[in-house]
Amino acid sequence: MRFVARRLAFFLVTLWAAVTTNFLIPRLMPGNPAIAMMARYRGRINPAALHSLEIAFGVDNHQSLVSAYFSYLGNILRGRFGTSLTFFPDAVSHEVLQALPWTLALVGVTTILAFVLGTLIGLLGAWRRGGFLDSMLPPIFVITSAFPYFWLALISIWLFAIKLHWLPANGGYSIQTNEAWTWAFISDALRHSIMPALTILITSIGGWILTMRNNTISVLSEDYVRMARAKGLSPWRIMWTYAGRNAILPNLTGFAMSLGFVVSGAILVEFVFNYPGVGWMFLQAVENQDYALMQALFLMIIIAVLTAILVADAATALLDPRTRDQQ
Amino acid sequence: MTAITATMRPARTRLGLGALRRIAGNRKALVGMLLLLFFVVLAAFPGQLAPDDPNAEIFRPALGVSSHHWFGTTAYGQDVLSQLIWGARQSLLIAFAVGGLETALAVLIGVSAAYLGGIADGLLSLLTDVLLVIPIFPLVIVLTAYERNAGFATLVIVLGALGWSYGARQLRSQTLSMRNREFLQSARVRGERRLYVIVFEILPTMTSLIVASFLGGALYAVLTAAGLQFVGLGDPNSLSWGTMLYWAENNEALGANMVLWAVMPGVCVALLGAAFALLNYAFDEVSNPALRKPRRVKRG
Amino acid sequence: MRRFQISLLLALVVLVAVVAGTGGGANAASGSSVTISNESGTTWTCGFNPYNGSVLGLSFGTVYEELVYVNALQSAKATPWLASAYKWSNGNKTLTFTIRKGVRWSDGTPFTAADVVFSFDLLKKHPALDLNADWSVLKSVAQKGSQVVFNFKTSAVPYFYYIAGQTPIVPKHIWASVGNPVTYNDPHPIGTGPYTMSKCSPQVITYQKNASYWQKGLPKIDTVYYPSFTSNDPANQELADDTAQWGSQFIPNIKGYYLSKSPDHHIWFPPVANVSIFINLTNPQLALPVRQAMAYAIDRSRVSQIGEYGYEPPANQTGIVTPTYKSWLPASLKGQYAYNPAKAKAILTKAGYKMSGGVFKSPSGKSLSFSIINIGGYSDWVASVQVIQQELKAVGIEITPQNLSGTTYDADLYAGKFQLAYGAETGGPAPYYELRQLLFSKNSAPIGQTASSNWERFSSKQVDSWINAYGATTSAATQHSLVTKLAGVMTSQVPAIPVTEEVDWYQYSTKSITGWPTPSNPFAQPAAYSTPDIGVTLLHLRPKG
Repeated sequence: MRFVARRLAFFLVTLWAAVTTNFLIPRLMPGNPAIAMMARYRGRINPAALHSLEIAFGVDNHQSLVSAYFSYLGNILRGRFGTSLTFFPDAVSHEVLQALPWTLALVGVTTILAFVLGTLIGLLGAWRRGGFLDSMLPPIFVITSAFPYFWLALISIWLFAIKLHWLPANGGYSIQTNEAWTWAFISDALRHSIMPALTILITSIGGWILTMRNNTISVLSEDYVRMARAKGLSPWRIMWTYAGRNAILPNLTGFAMSLGFVVSGAILVEFVFNYPGVGWMFLQAVENQDYALMQALFLMIIIAVLTAILVADAATALLDPRTRDQQ
Repeated sequence: MTAITATMRPARTRLGLGALRRIAGNRKALVGMLLLLFFVVLAAFPGQLAPDDPNAEIFRPALGVSSHHWFGTTAYGQDVLSQLIWGARQSLLIAFAVGGLETALAVLIGVSAAYLGGIADGLLSLLTDVLLVIPIFPLVIVLTAYERNAGFATLVIVLGALGWSYGARQLRSQTLSMRNREFLQSARVRGERRLYVIVFEILPTMTSLIVASFLGGALYAVLTAAGLQFVGLGDPNSLSWGTMLYWAENNEALGANMVLWAVMPGVCVALLGAAFALLNYAFDEVSNPALRKPRRVKRG
Repeated sequence: MRRFQISLLLALVVLVAVVAGTGGGANAASGSSVTISNESGTTWTCGFNPYNGSVLGLSFGTVYEELVYVNALQSAKATPWLASAYKWSNGNKTLTFTIRKGVRWSDGTPFTAADVVFSFDLLKKHPALDLNADWSVLKSVAQKGSQVVFNFKTSAVPYFYYIAGQTPIVPKHIWASVGNPVTYNDPHPIGTGPYTMSKCSPQVITYQKNASYWQKGLPKIDTVYYPSFTSNDPANQELADDTAQWGSQFIPNIKGYYLSKSPDHHIWFPPVANVSIFINLTNPQLALPVRQAMAYAIDRSRVSQIGEYGYEPPANQTGIVTPTYKSWLPASLKGQYAYNPAKAKAILTKAGYKMSGGVFKSPSGKSLSFSIINIGGYSDWVASVQVIQQELKAVGIEITPQNLSGTTYDADLYAGKFQLAYGAETGGPAPYYELRQLLFSKNSAPIGQTASSNWERFSSKQVDSWINAYGATTSAATQHSLVTKLAGVMTSQVPAIPVTEEVDWYQYSTKSITGWPTPSNPFAQPAAYSTPDIGVTLLHLRPKG
């Protein structure tokens, strides 16, 4: 019980710290969103119009930092993130909800895929140590994990889209396709996602392979595995239920966190592939000093990470009775 | 990703002379060391090694590969090879500086949290855990975007100050596990000062963790700095591989037959990154006893 | 075990192959279409409010229209549009438009003079919508039957461009019930224009032709696709492979990248304004000899060649953009401040500056060393400033580029917190507009306050009076003599140094479409981001064959 209480306290403190950082960063930085807005208008605005817009935005209200902080907290609790400067006059929540599915589908699925594949390869590699899989894949993927993934994205666009014309170079789907749940649209969207997905997969799978392999090797030298072998259990069963299950436990939290980091991981890939997700949107918010959008995205990332960790904690506790008594 | 998974690595043992010898004999470590050495040499003597002034716009733009221009010229008529050689310096410096800063902070915070215990430990651990879940890359983008000419110092401070939490967490738990070991007890009984105990008794036992933290930090710094510079958040007037990629991208190097201008800086980043990753991998193999001797498991 | 590994890999390969093989699901719509490639930096909000500066390019010209089309490339040639005629009277203080008959909004409601009056009243009531500051010179707008009468506070002839040519007219029967037009999204715009917005997603806007458009038989192109591009690369790629036919892009190495890909690919970059070094005139270190020396020391052709691939031609010190406005350039001022580094040094030496350690020092002993702010995101400008830096160094003047984010740059520029700034004014349909932006003291503001233009803080009563005199005349001869005087100020005072000329970026493919604007037929500003010119260009396009 004490463990649960500690965890909860940790979550609350983290959330508070994140929310407060979120509030402070834009305010401690130089610059003024009203001018940022002027930049978005590309010089097509006269100063009187600008001033009226500032008032319309609420940029101009001279609240003290403290009262601004509390009204900010209040707004967040009510789920109100304000109006985006980048997408004026749209509400931030509307824009984010429009972009989120693309990121979740692309980077979310890819992250899960990388984890599952990486874990399988790691497990098999450790099980057949020194075999084909083990001597080939881990070193290769250690090296690919050091690739700058935006660069890999550039090169693959050049090769597969420009030179070979195999795959579309950019966007989430072709502009002539109707955005609807039809096979034409889905297959089109899938085709557009292959290159960005593979880029992420290739650069991120190495970490999972390596940790799983090393965990499994450690577990395999444990007494209970030797015992199982001695008892003559089938190797298949030892691999999955003894080695695999125990080796995967320490990776769960890492996996949960990487799920939470989906958005931040997507930033450069979405930038290069002109992909309509939230990662690119974040970069845009920063460029435009769009506080409202930036804060909403940041908060979303934090909550995603925390939720994922919570779930991972629960899963670990479920799979590994020892942790329940720890701490 | 690398940094996240680093936390999950099983605890390691003290890195003695034997380990060093094993590293020297490890093929992955050898390749990593040679790569790193190669770039260190480039970074140390660019003036002697580079055929031309990297900034001089003196050649015909977009020249192809030739004996004088191994990798052609840029759209501005600069020699790509010379830029690569000069660019090594900043990438390496960032890697070492960030890795060093991160590791120093990790040691300071992780070890003192464990050693001090009590409220201090609670607060430091909380700080570590909070920083652990806050997404660093977006935060780095926000911070560097405001400081648009994000030069060397900004990058190092931001990356270093935000990246220490993984290492700190590991070091804390490692220290905790040793707090009551005999050799420490005896040091305490001898009446040694706390600082002495930490520096001379505890730290040496964690060399491999510290090295891992350094290598992980260096790898992360190389990739992140290149990414930031690529999207234009670095200083576009500085010479580094990330900036080269920025200029190549902005001049359609790939589409306009200056392929090597866009490919080579990425290859360099990847190779330097691979050097750190391979060294890390090798250290892991050597210092984790379970991983040490590849012993064939019988097919059941 | 091995079998398991192999089947795992196989499954993966099959999955990739299946997905990759199902291409071609996207079938092109029937009828003729044109796709625009113009990097916007954002995805679409699907808002079309024509008074919202960040989206007006998506509705003004295509869906909404203006009273009179004014072509900047033909010295402000005026073509009656929603107004069939117009007339100045009362000492150029009253402007009367006759509203065109037979025009309908795309929902079938007839368009009347009341819509025009309503639109201008809307701008008066909500200054946030009045992007061109129409009401800074207007006194009243009133309906007189099928005419609309504009009364001005003072004679303001140049404002014709903004009021008649740059203000979109919206339907009263729809906008009258809009609660707050400032934050109104206008997701389903109803206009008089040649196209209606038929479908919008963050990735692409689809426009269909307006079947009952008032110019009978037009437009000829059925569908217009306007995809959003968040970065330059993909936008350029679509042009190179003909996925998009109308580009408004900066494409580096355009010969290898675009022109060589097909004989149907063409480009034209008509200059419309200057990219200049703005000099903070409140800084005593930047005295006239220093400004003159800098103007002589910069090899504008080299900046143009290296920084801009020669696409943006070298500018001249008068601030009059050529060839677009070459008829305005006075012969006496042609060729002034041609590249001459020796002369630059001579001017400084003569004024008492001394060279020491490769850098000139002022008579009071301060080194000529300045910072220059620039937008870090504009790689061509960054490259240009690097060239300028080398050239100024050669004559003993040091400049240090500060590449800022767009917003920080704007804030510093507007508030006058800079020594030198590399940037551009917006210009207009005649040289007067940019010279006014550069020199009119009313546009400026004290350091620390936001100036709408004239960021170098130039101030002269004499110059102001010339600028006002231009506003009061419709005589071409008087206008030319006033512009000559203003250009003379640019060369004698050097408040800013025009370096290259900003152009309309424009690429077009004649593979399936003809009728494009060309240097010999410049019927509209050709960039897709030029409003309302985008509508004029679309009306000229035809499917080939």
